[in-house]
Amino acid sequence: MNTHTTGKTMTQPTPLLSVRDLRVEVGERTVLESISLDIQSGELVVLMGANGSGKSTLGLTLAGHPRYRVSAGSARFHGQDLLAQKPEERARAGLFVSLQAPPDIPGVKNALFLRSALNAVRASRGEPQLDAFDFLKDARALAGELGLDAKLLSRPVNEGFSGGERKRNEMLQLALLKPRLALLDEIDSGMDVDGVRAVVKQVQAMRAQGTAFVVVSHYLQLIESLTPDTVLRLDQGRIAETGTLALARDIARTGFARQGETAEV
Amino acid sequence: MSPSPCPDLLDAQARLASHGWIAPKAENFRHLPPPPASAWLAPPATPTTTPTTEPSDPTESWHVRALDAAQADQFITQYLNPAIPAQRAMLFRGLPWPDESDAAHFGWMHRATCQRGLRVHIAGDPARHAAAPLRLVLHIAPAAPFDAPLLVIDVAAGAHCVLLEQHAFDPSADAGVQNLDLHIRLGQGARLQHLRTVAPAPHDRLAHQLHVTLAEGAHYDQALLASGSAYHLQRTQIDLHQPGSAARMGAALLAADATLDQQIALSHTAADTYSAVESLLLASGKAHAVLNAHTLIATGADNANVRQRLCAIPTSGQPRVVLRPHMEIHHDQVQAAHGATYGALPDEALFYARQRGLDEASALALILQGLQRAVLERALDDPELLTGMSAAPSRLKQARTAARQGEGTPLNLDAALARMTQQHLARSTA
Repeated sequence: MNTHTTGKTMTQPTPLLSVRDLRVEVGERTVLESISLDIQSGELVVLMGANGSGKSTLGLTLAGHPRYRVSAGSARFHGQDLLAQKPEERARAGLFVSLQAPPDIPGVKNALFLRSALNAVRASRGEPQLDAFDFLKDARALAGELGLDAKLLSRPVNEGFSGGERKRNEMLQLALLKPRLALLDEIDSGMDVDGVRAVVKQVQAMRAQGTAFVVVSHYLQLIESLTPDTVLRLDQGRIAETGTLALARDIARTGFARQGETAEV
Repeated sequence: MSPSPCPDLLDAQARLASHGWIAPKAENFRHLPPPPASAWLAPPATPTTTPTTEPSDPTESWHVRALDAAQADQFITQYLNPAIPAQRAMLFRGLPWPDESDAAHFGWMHRATCQRGLRVHIAGDPARHAAAPLRLVLHIAPAAPFDAPLLVIDVAAGAHCVLLEQHAFDPSADAGVQNLDLHIRLGQGARLQHLRTVAPAPHDRLAHQLHVTLAEGAHYDQALLASGSAYHLQRTQIDLHQPGSAARMGAALLAADATLDQQIALSHTAADTYSAVESLLLASGKAHAVLNAHTLIATGADNANVRQRLCAIPTSGQPRVVLRPHMEIHHDQVQAAHGATYGALPDEALFYARQRGLDEASALALILQGLQRAVLERALDDPELLTGMSAAPSRLKQARTAARQGEGTPLNLDAALARMTQQHLARSTA
């Protein structure tokens, strides 16, 4: 069994997320063969891998997407059996998964969607509900920090949004929901330079407050800016390599094709 | 002493006697036949020879009011008792005799049983309405377990009016029957944005027939939010017989273990006319629903532009749904598009909402409301109309105070949408 941990594991014996031998199937196809990893609070892990290596599958499986069937293995999050929980229970426990292609929700105003989600999470934490007016004040301020036009709050969720606006909207949700662990799947795709800067700034700020991140990205500039604790390379449904920023630089220089066979870790 | 029956009333009775009730194979009704004629007659006898007692206050069960008191001088209402011949003559003055369509039987029945009438005249004041359209609320509750009201709305040339039509039904009352006839006539260049909510009790039987006539350059928009019942017919006939007239119909329809029949008939006979129909049906359980749209483009209707889009989404169970988009085109220079879709629940959006923390029921309700809202918005071309006619942005502070004090905004189609969707899902689960 390859269990991928970081130095922080030594000082924090109970990981925030602990995945063991996870095997996932989509339809008739096995997409993840066996994944094991531990992630601590405040840790930032970068997940790299060629197209189809299983990066998005890992995020969607952890989020509880019904199309992804776990056929073996386990995952514990914040001391609970993650795989036994419904998607909303995972979200309320503090798991946030930013989708690579966030869907449209016609007719549902972005502000209403965000407030409903936030109030559902707040209710689960025993916190008071936010009314529309207080929520809008906070949401507008955060949207401004992310460079998201506040007008998009009154438009239907993601409908007519550009690629970059969708990703900024994901970051707005992240900032409002304040999860324990966020998995960002190609958050930089479609974003302009300012957007990427805003992502880095927000991730670093939340990380300093204890939020852990798993960032899926192909772009070294973003990865370097994030100063990850760990870089993982996924290949054919397995974690093929574990390293530091040097691994990301190596992959950026030589590509995934250089890896003839799974490296020993 | 009983007054003499009016000629039109006798004629209606004679038509019913000679034609019988709607045939099971009648084109518009063959997928969902209506209850028999006897269901639409007040027991034990029809009110045709016995005048109903004029209620002490005719506005008790229905009334029209302006949202803004300063606009109260821009319309006139007349409450009329069709059992009194002179008032009956005033009530039916200028209205066409029910046509020979399949649905004419409901028209004859209505003539034979009509118990109460209301005429509303909206004055034309283009200068004032350009700044702020006249905003009216029409509240209708059944006057009796058997109810056959007639409503006539005349909108003068150049007027711009927003009308919110709200129906109140009592689910704790005995099964009710309502056969409503509503005539809307728009003068030259007039515009009416018509928001309607019709949520009968599960055991009620309803037939609502709307007849809309548009003068040159007039524009009619209707956003209908309706739920099913033991029998529920919503039929709208729109005549675009003058150049430049336009109509848009958007309907969000919910049927959970209930019947619902929407019939829309549009007739384009003039040049440069436009119509768009979009209906979304959410059906569940053993619902039986039919969406029936028929658009006629007659010879000479140059540059007519017509759209039809019917969509049904089963939310649970095995509902029986029929979508019937029809176009009958007799002219070459036209643009026309139509389509019917049986859809599925948007699974990705549902998962997305749940991943953000909403439980499955809340996520589903939010997404279904959104789908319906999008249809209604497109019909009105003004999303603000759905969010509360009384809570205009300029009154945000008051609205906030009211919301914090628990005072709902009763004139909010969004709130009705949320309530009716929740009811639909609750009935679906049950």
